[in-house]
Amino acid sequence: MTDAIAAPPQRVSRRTIIAAIVRKDFRAFRRDRFYFYMSIVGLILYVAIFWFLPDTVDESITIGATGAGIEQLLEQATGAESEGLTIVPFDSRETLMTAVEEGDQDVALGLAFPQDFFAAIAAGEPTTVSVIATAEVPDELRTAMDSFIKEAAFAISGNPLPVDYQEEILGVDRLGDQVSLREKFRPMLAFLVLLIEMMSLAGLIAAEMQSRTVTAVITTPARLSDFLTAKIIFGALLAFTQVVILLVAIRSLGTEPVLLLATLLLGSLMVTAFALIAGAFGKDFISVLFWSMLFMIPMLIPAFGLLFPGSASTWIRAIPSYGLVETITGTTVYGEGWTEALPNLGLVAAWTVVAFIIGMGILRKKVQSL
Amino acid sequence: MTNTGNAIEVSDLSFAYGDIQAVDGVSFSVAPGEILGFLGPNGAGKSTTIKMLTGQLRPDSGSISVLGMTMPAQTLDIQARIGVCFEEKNLYENMSGKENLDFFARLYGIKGRDFDPFLRKVGLIDRADDRVATYSKGMRQRLMMTRAMINDPDILFLDEPTDGLDPVSSQAVRNVIKAEAERGAAVILTTHDMHEADQLSDRVAFINEGRIAALDTSDNLKLEYGQRTVRIRSRNGGDVDVRVISLDESNAGDQIREAVAVEGLMTIHTEEATLEDIFIKLTGRGLDA
Repeated sequence: MTDAIAAPPQRVSRRTIIAAIVRKDFRAFRRDRFYFYMSIVGLILYVAIFWFLPDTVDESITIGATGAGIEQLLEQATGAESEGLTIVPFDSRETLMTAVEEGDQDVALGLAFPQDFFAAIAAGEPTTVSVIATAEVPDELRTAMDSFIKEAAFAISGNPLPVDYQEEILGVDRLGDQVSLREKFRPMLAFLVLLIEMMSLAGLIAAEMQSRTVTAVITTPARLSDFLTAKIIFGALLAFTQVVILLVAIRSLGTEPVLLLATLLLGSLMVTAFALIAGAFGKDFISVLFWSMLFMIPMLIPAFGLLFPGSASTWIRAIPSYGLVETITGTTVYGEGWTEALPNLGLVAAWTVVAFIIGMGILRKKVQSL
Repeated sequence: MTNTGNAIEVSDLSFAYGDIQAVDGVSFSVAPGEILGFLGPNGAGKSTTIKMLTGQLRPDSGSISVLGMTMPAQTLDIQARIGVCFEEKNLYENMSGKENLDFFARLYGIKGRDFDPFLRKVGLIDRADDRVATYSKGMRQRLMMTRAMINDPDILFLDEPTDGLDPVSSQAVRNVIKAEAERGAAVILTTHDMHEADQLSDRVAFINEGRIAALDTSDNLKLEYGQRTVRIRSRNGGDVDVRVISLDESNAGDQIREAVAVEGLMTIHTEEATLEDIFIKLTGRGLDA
């Protein structure tokens, strides 16, 4: 060890140290076949899924009808098709029931009018119309038939309805602005990419802890804070790059690109913060997977909520990923801007700070105990 | 603490993990170019002491001066001038030997260094570009040694540097340690291997239950705590007689003359206490405990 070299500088700059660690992390990631291929394959798969999903919305409904005076009913219903309602006549109650049960001619449900329907209406006497539906038909659609029958009765008898009504829509009225399955999946896919990168980073951190390479690093002029900063930069860059590639590939950066990029960067930082926690607790691949899943599953709930509208509860707003999913959907689907996004982004930022404080605290303790 | 010219000055150092007192009032010094053997069983406080000296732990009390600088105030300056070889093979498995060295060199602010002379010295030059995952245990250990020397350190901390190595690898590592000491580096060598400590160390410190039980050259320790003996074996009819004569007894010479005068003399061996014997004598426990 006698070959002469220039004496190392007294103090190495933090930037040099952090850059060296980030560079090393990228190299380690590239050579970790599992995480590397999982990221690439995942990205390709998600892009493919997005383009395979239908981008149109079927807003029409077909109703089967049978009974006396059905022709008159069909005449009254002229023009309903333009509002998405198609009525198909059936000869008998039996054929209608079979059609509803087997979904013939796309019949969603059936209406069976009694033989004395017109006489009863004319006499102002009560009468009953059967709504035939399978168990899968939503309750909302069955009750909507009640209004439809009353409207039909009014049109036939010419008598005014005893109760008038008006619609009151709470929140943003999305009527006629339905979202296709493809668009519903957009935040889900973006979030899945972020979560995969969370697992990759957690795996890298856990490996550093288990092999104790972190100890070797912090006995050089590198501080533990340099190590953690490098991990945050690496994790956020990795996640951000991947999710931007995804959104470009699914052509979703067109509207409000700056807002969307800011949202994705914040999302990348958030999953990085959770990766610090998962990585600190992870001992091997299985435990990293377990800890990552522990965060991944709840954080996917808001994205699932979009797929099943109406099922989301208020508590979902408390999930760290809620603001992220809402902003991605609002921006890419409804063209919302900064005003609508800021409260959601504020929530994500708050969660990110909390997760960073917890993650860095746990990692610091873990490293000191090695 | 005044600068005494020692590479390391430790005074009354203590550290506790909760209720467990891991290090309890330890004091010692190491001069430049000196190899200090740090001996003790598992849990004796060796690793905790080394962790404090390398800036991984903050002592509860006491003072540490390294190269005239104090811990923890000047930890980063100190870390720039030390090299650490850990017991665990904490290398980046997916990177080559050369890439590992390059990464750690950058942490010291060293760029573009030619690592070949280092790698040639430890016999890794032909495998320098192979991933560490393909290295044998001995090769990894030699790479760890090389990594510890990448910044030409003034102090080397070596934790079980030859543990589990084959004789050839062990000798290669020992040669490197000696060369580093000759260059002027102070070396703290933590080991279970008494023979190695005896062979390499200028002085040895026995550490037990967080305290230094003895600290001196191995010769002085053997003189002070060991018993020098002569073992004489002779045939007596069908049996073998064994006489052990202490050289510290005043009539040792007469006893030896008498013992070798018998017919059927078989063997004469001088024996001296090993460091392990002395450690057991001092602490009442073995090094593997």
